[in-house]
Amino acid sequence: MAATNQNDFLIQFENISKVYQMGLELVHALRDITLSIRKNEYVSIMGPSGSGKSTLMNIIGCLDTPSTGKYFFKQYDVSDMSDNELADIRNKEIGFVFQTFNLLPRATALKNVELPLVYSGVNSSKRKEIAQQLLEGVGLGDRITHKPNELSGGQRQRVAVARALANNPSIILADEPTGNLDSKTGKEIMILFNKLWEKGNTIILVTHEEEIAHYSHRIIRLRDGLVESDEKNGNPIVPKISELEEIE
Amino acid sequence: MKFSEIWEAIVIALDSIKANKLRSFLASLGVVIGISFVIIMGWALAGLDKVLLDTINMIGSDMLYVDKWDWSGGQNWKLLQARKPITLEQANEFIKRVKTAEVAIPIAKRHRTLIKYENLNFEGISVQGSLSEYGLTPAGAILDGRFFSPSEDMYSANVVVFAYNAYYSVFPDGDGIGKTVKINGHKFYVIGVVKKQGTALLDFVDNQVFVPLSSFLGCFGKYRRSLSIGVKAGSPEMLDEVRTETIGIMRGIRGLEPWEELDFSVNETKTFEKSTDMFRLYVWGIGIGMTVLSFIVGIIGITNIMFVSVAERTKEIGIRKAIGAPKRSILFQFIIESAILCLIGSAFSFIGCSVLIYAVATFLPKAFPSISFLSPYIPLKLLYIASFVSIIVGILAGLIPAIRASNLDPVDSLRYE
Repeated sequence: MAATNQNDFLIQFENISKVYQMGLELVHALRDITLSIRKNEYVSIMGPSGSGKSTLMNIIGCLDTPSTGKYFFKQYDVSDMSDNELADIRNKEIGFVFQTFNLLPRATALKNVELPLVYSGVNSSKRKEIAQQLLEGVGLGDRITHKPNELSGGQRQRVAVARALANNPSIILADEPTGNLDSKTGKEIMILFNKLWEKGNTIILVTHEEEIAHYSHRIIRLRDGLVESDEKNGNPIVPKISELEEIE
Repeated sequence: MKFSEIWEAIVIALDSIKANKLRSFLASLGVVIGISFVIIMGWALAGLDKVLLDTINMIGSDMLYVDKWDWSGGQNWKLLQARKPITLEQANEFIKRVKTAEVAIPIAKRHRTLIKYENLNFEGISVQGSLSEYGLTPAGAILDGRFFSPSEDMYSANVVVFAYNAYYSVFPDGDGIGKTVKINGHKFYVIGVVKKQGTALLDFVDNQVFVPLSSFLGCFGKYRRSLSIGVKAGSPEMLDEVRTETIGIMRGIRGLEPWEELDFSVNETKTFEKSTDMFRLYVWGIGIGMTVLSFIVGIIGITNIMFVSVAERTKEIGIRKAIGAPKRSILFQFIIESAILCLIGSAFSFIGCSVLIYAVATFLPKAFPSISFLSPYIPLKLLYIASFVSIIVGILAGLIPAIRASNLDPVDSLRYE
């Protein structure tokens, strides 16, 4: 299956390393990692804390650049890009979902979802229209004027997912998306991700929870900055809305 | 830069200022004071310009005054005192000879003369003796009654025309015309009042009375009296020519040898422009010193508060960067915030100064009539200048914090709590 259709690769890491200076010590967060992710894959990146999974996520998400190695995102060589070019890639190609939601506290749900569109230069009325549709898509059509502190944790994370989808990005990059949620609302978010995957989105989950990882179709395990294993999950959990009632 | 980014920056800035009203107000206080200095200085200078213009208009920009005394006050007082008087004969001789001038009038003056009306004494009013032609100059414009006539000149009629303030201090009810007053013991018949025309630079003009020159000399004597000659050039363009001729004729009349210095002065309105130029320089010097000082304090205050703002919003900056805000957008966001902060500060100082200036210009002249030239409104162009200056100050003050914000690392800022 390899090398048959190169263009299908969304993410290609070639010998990526990341070294931090911590005081006098050099920390090797990632050591010589080579991996690739295709379009419409549903991947989990797992590992204990200190394994380098956050660093990996930051590099995949173009928030950080590798110390050595090459990173190709689609056809672009991201490893040599300037800060502003990286910002543009993040804006158009990557939708972030964070453990702590990272919504702007003073802005309404609608405004939060509009934010990526502001930086891609979409005009105000079009922004509102897109944001409204996205919020309806995550079941928050009646909450658009609420501020984050007026929403529950699950609702906040759904706003964050809607925001991540605003510019119709190539990948959804979720860092412990259920980490701050109870199991029921966590499941709601996983249902949402499954729906997005079914629609053709590429989803990368960073998590340390086995159960969450098993929703995905491929599990990459990291340890000490190295890929410990990279396996297909032949039997992914397919969340159903009916299960929610069981929990209740 | 995309329009959506610019608009977003403005919205964020207003939100942030709104969320921290007191802090923003205190931070912008230095700028408020600086802008207030600019406004008040500009307003005072505008008032000064108006006074200067009024003074020139009253005297007439085409007028020359040949006098023993010099208006500019720059020369040694004792030297001027020692000059020989300009006698009536010299004045008449000059008037006979001068060709280029439209009209020339001899003027005699006596300061602080006693004027009696019924049994009341008035001191401190000046008496001016001149000819009926004086009534044709701007300084002799009549409010009520009439100026004296050529025949009254000729026959030394004891008639008097009052200037505005002198009239109302002697006749508070304004019913003086037709009454008789005693000037230095001589009876004079009041025939008219001249319009109010004093300015802050020349306020004595409203506190005098006019009599025919011949009556004046009869009343006060002409021995050792120095006259001045008012020479009307006709137009400001004629001034140089008339001045040259005036000096030439006067040198001849005064018997000056070519190598001798002038022993008289030719005064004109330009003298006032010179003295106000000095005053203007003082105002600017002090004003600019204070303004620069308060702007420096203002910039420090705003820069400081912008650093606080950047620190408080580190997480927000991280979120915006993660979502795709480019550096320039973050930079612009904080510069805009700082500029708007200053602009709002300048709006406040504008409102404050408007109230202050209106109050000063309305109430102060009641106690000190000589400053009634002050306008109760701020000149409009100061609005533009002050807004422009405040925006520049804001940009300067916000620059360093904004650069720091734009260079924040997205990963670190996202982790910031």
